[in-house]
Amino acid sequence: MPRTLIGAKIRDRRRTLGLTQARLAATLGISPSYLNLIESNKRSIGGRLLKRMAETLEIALEDLDGAAERRLIGDLEELAAEPMLADLHLDPSGAADFAGRHPDWARALIRLHRAWRDRGEAVNALSDRLNQDPFLGDAVRSVLGRVAAIRSSSEILETVDDIEPRQHQRFVSIIAAESRRLTDVAQALAAYFDRAHVGTRPITPVEEVDDFLFERNNHFPALEQAAAALRADAGIDGVCRESTLVEYLGRAHGVRVSAAPESGRHEDAFDLASRTLVLADTAPRATRRFALARLAAALFREGRPVEEALAASSLLSSEAARRRARRALWSYLAAALLMPYEEFLAAARRARYDIDYLAQRFEASYEQVCHRLVTLRRPGASGVPFGLMRIDPAGFLTKRFPLPHLPLPRHGNACPLWAGYEAFQTPGATVRQIAAFPTGERFLFLARAIEKTRPSFTLPRRLISIMLACDVLHADQIVYADGLNLSSSAPTTPVGSNCRLCVRRDCDYREEDPIIDA
Amino acid sequence: MARVLIAEDEPHIVESLSFVLEREGYDVAAAADGESALASLRGARPDVLILDVMLPKLNGFEVLKQIRRDPALVSLPVIVLTAKGQARDRRMAEEIGVSGFMTKPFSNRDVIAEVRRLIPG
Repeated sequence: MPRTLIGAKIRDRRRTLGLTQARLAATLGISPSYLNLIESNKRSIGGRLLKRMAETLEIALEDLDGAAERRLIGDLEELAAEPMLADLHLDPSGAADFAGRHPDWARALIRLHRAWRDRGEAVNALSDRLNQDPFLGDAVRSVLGRVAAIRSSSEILETVDDIEPRQHQRFVSIIAAESRRLTDVAQALAAYFDRAHVGTRPITPVEEVDDFLFERNNHFPALEQAAAALRADAGIDGVCRESTLVEYLGRAHGVRVSAAPESGRHEDAFDLASRTLVLADTAPRATRRFALARLAAALFREGRPVEEALAASSLLSSEAARRRARRALWSYLAAALLMPYEEFLAAARRARYDIDYLAQRFEASYEQVCHRLVTLRRPGASGVPFGLMRIDPAGFLTKRFPLPHLPLPRHGNACPLWAGYEAFQTPGATVRQIAAFPTGERFLFLARAIEKTRPSFTLPRRLISIMLACDVLHADQIVYADGLNLSSSAPTTPVGSNCRLCVRRDCDYREEDPIIDA
Repeated sequence: MARVLIAEDEPHIVESLSFVLEREGYDVAAAADGESALASLRGARPDVLILDVMLPKLNGFEVLKQIRRDPALVSLPVIVLTAKGQARDRRMAEEIGVSGFMTKPFSNRDVIAEVRRLIPG
């Protein structure tokens, strides 16, 4: 797959301006046949030529770098892979053309697709609930039991002419008593269905927040500044101590921090009314400290820095999405507080991105360090660009921050060959691979399954897998690639994004037939 | 006199069913849970059993399974009483071996008809 997909945009713009290929090529100082290759997405352009192209065609440079189109194309390809569209045999290359020519229509289609998926999920959840909700099952059984008693007794009264008065009275009482019980059940059912109008949670907010973070390139300069100010306010110097944060929260916000030995919940909880933060005593230090930092981030300057960052985007269309994004930004600010940008970047470069070293150096958890690594995107002072995925033991991607050329599926699972899955087999150990996609893109994947504390020994282990990805071009800066053969001729693991979308026909690990006929 | 055992934990249903069955000339006994139903069956085999699916201690299916495994009881006619006409309950009962079905709410007349059908003479 070519690295840019802006050919159609260039061609359309050229035609709108009334320029021939020969004329534009001459202005740009290239041959018409080369321009033709560019417009057909067979050659990519960058650097000075791209700038001149943008100037000559009077388009903003950002509109020509193609990242937004690539994301759109990825979304369209996933849409095309929906089983309900299989009989249309959609041509996958049509997605690139469509997205290039009609980006707004493409976005409209994507929006509808998401809304449709939301409805589908909601319907499934509701019908599952009706089938499996224990209350409903019991209520229905109770209704039938009460009616059976009433019917049987009233039939007797109706048909038995010579019934004794004492018996007559007995059955009348039974009917009365069972009617009262039936009233109770019926009222409970009515109340239940009233409550049931609360509705289901749409899945779109997750995607909107993903898009929001992607739009900002997962870097928020205003929050980095806020973090620096917060550090100063809290008097944090060097590695942040838990006690410093506790003292600061009390001093600046009147927050009391208490430990809950066995609350049954292992997560922290902040009660606004009493201004008390309850930390799970059994949580590891890095987790407790992060919880304190998150609260400090949420309360800093009455939450204004985060709200301003949210307001600047039009991508969050619902309160649910905004709430989710707000929590993500609290975590961002907390991470920036604990791992200040310049220090963290310098340490990361020095250590060649050794995550365990960084975790020790900043007393943070493996997961916190991975997330921070993906934010090192300050223009002019950026680290190796990483993508990140978080995978649960059922294989589902619970968090995804993609790279421009790395296709991370939006829904469900990814390719079973990815290091992120292999990591579950060796919890705590780093698994690395050079993953080669059918398009020719190669990435270094490094993954580890980390264990979260579980509330008690009798409950199952909690593992999640965190996978970082970077273009193989940067791999030589990363300690985890040491010893791997990074040359283009070296053996790699042939992967795809997921089985449904993948074009590899001869893969032994294929779990699902591809939808797209390549 | 033919004997009917009703295994049902709802006392009001037991009362009305007993009333109508006794009027038809049957001798009626009752058990309110699965364990006492089995004990009663083994103590004195009735001519037909009306068995509710939802019983405390031992549910109706378990009771039915034990009946079919017991040589003394294997041929006992059993009418299963279900609160839901759900196909799943019927299938399970049929697999184990049942002689008749009644779903709640039932008509007394239908119960009597079933009992008459299953008790010879």
